[in-house]
Amino acid sequence: MEAFIQVAAAAGLTGDEAKAASAAGSAGFAYGLAAIGPGIGIGYLVGKSVEAMARQPEAAGMVRTTMFLGIAFTEALALIGFVVFILIGL
Amino acid sequence: MIALEFPPINEILRWKDLFPTFNKIALIAVAAALIGTLIFLLAGSKDAKVAPKGIRNFAESIVEFIENGIIMQTMGREGLAWTPFLLSLFSFIYLCNVPGIIPFLQMPATARMALPLFLSLLVWVVFIVTGFKHQGLGYIKSSLFPPGVPKALYILVTPIEFISTFLVRPFSLTVRLFANMLAGHILLVTFGLLSEALFQAKGNPALIPVGVLPLFMLIFLTGFEVLVAFLQAYIFTILTAVYIGGAAHPEH
Amino acid sequence: MLTAVVIRSGEALRVHFVTSESDSGEHEMNPADCAFEPETYPPEGEAFTVEFCGTGPSPIIPEMKELAWGAGSFIVFALLMRFFLFPRLKKGMDSRYTSIREGHENADATRSSARSEVAQYEAALVAAKAEASKVIDAARATLEGERQTAITAANARIATEREAAMSAADAARTAGRSQVESAVVDVVNSAVEVATGKRPDGSAVSRAVAEAMSAGVR
Repeated sequence: MEAFIQVAAAAGLTGDEAKAASAAGSAGFAYGLAAIGPGIGIGYLVGKSVEAMARQPEAAGMVRTTMFLGIAFTEALALIGFVVFILIGL
Repeated sequence: MIALEFPPINEILRWKDLFPTFNKIALIAVAAALIGTLIFLLAGSKDAKVAPKGIRNFAESIVEFIENGIIMQTMGREGLAWTPFLLSLFSFIYLCNVPGIIPFLQMPATARMALPLFLSLLVWVVFIVTGFKHQGLGYIKSSLFPPGVPKALYILVTPIEFISTFLVRPFSLTVRLFANMLAGHILLVTFGLLSEALFQAKGNPALIPVGVLPLFMLIFLTGFEVLVAFLQAYIFTILTAVYIGGAAHPEH
Repeated sequence: MLTAVVIRSGEALRVHFVTSESDSGEHEMNPADCAFEPETYPPEGEAFTVEFCGTGPSPIIPEMKELAWGAGSFIVFALLMRFFLFPRLKKGMDSRYTSIREGHENADATRSSARSEVAQYEAALVAAKAEASKVIDAARATLEGERQTAITAANARIATEREAAMSAADAARTAGRSQVESAVVDVVNSAVEVATGKRPDGSAVSRAVAEAMSAGVR
């Protein structure tokens, strides 16, 4: 945040404008950082589920349900990041 | 250079009231309830003896999906009494999600905080009441003091269980639905604005055909949003079923 | 929500912000920025209140009117579904499923009864075939016996007739022979008498003739 304010000040922005500019920049970082973990997690989860379904096609229905539940829980973290992005960026 | 100015977020989310205290979100919610009622009313009025076709087939396949795809997978046979509640939850959320891609409407009602918040608070109340109804005060014991944990660890486990069961569940239900639909809406707006700005680029005519690319992306994302609308309704409903099933029978 | 008091003067609008945290001075606004239609403007110089579309509370805060309408419509929908729509649909589905199941059971029963009937029919058929072959065998046996007796009778009759015919033929032949013998004796006697002038011994001639005939002509 401080770095953004310095950059904004260097660009000739002052006061509220500098604050808004730095908030917009931080919001982008916040969402980007929040998306890393869930991205890896969902990728791993779906990959493992596909493996399981390929190994035991008769259990595909159960695996799919559980996969969606897992995706829902994992994705919540990224979405909280998205909400924070809206809260501080807008 | 082209000038691409993203409008303030409220401009893409809020409309002036159609009449006082009634805006587009309220209109979509009321329309969703009406359309859902109409579908099941028409389906119920068809002859049940012959092989179902048309709207009856559609409604029955939704019911079968809720029963076999959601309840039997999470709650088992004794959860079938919850079918009407989960069915109305699923239909209502889907019908509120899907205006996000209907032309001229272009706004999922669940991209506003009000509907997801209400629905998840309702689910929260429902699963807590179910827990107390099925287990009495044992519900507190089974949800806050999970069996099979060393006694000393309860100092650590109980607050975590309390937060995750009674605070995080409604919050994550709300945020999941709301943020997914809002993100989809913002994506559509972004690509729409981008292709519009490229089509109207005055300074550099070479940019005008490039506007086709974000337009194709917009069309693709519109198709993707249909999937997201279904998926979010499905996930909301299946999580509700999991929560209610867990409250009714702690061993599951 | 941002509310403003607007006074129209010519093409431009003079705007006083009423509820805004920023400065409440006068601003020039472009009517195209907002969603209210220009034809609803009051006459020049008169103040009116507008609500701007691009402003409002944070999108995270739920709005009361949306909450109330959404909650009301969902509760009405859920109650209708619980008490009216779903039971009606489910009753139809259940009755159809039971009728289908009954149809299946009826079909199974009909099929098994048809199978047993087919088995009965086949058993009856086998019995009838056995009886028919028995009757045919009996008939064939009687026929064979009759034929056998008829053949033997015919053979016997043929044998006796043949015997009779053969004995008649033998008698005729012997009769003819004795006649031929006597005729030959007569001829020999006459011939000897003509040649020698004397009558030969009749017994010797007849003996010689009989020898010659039994030795030569046969």
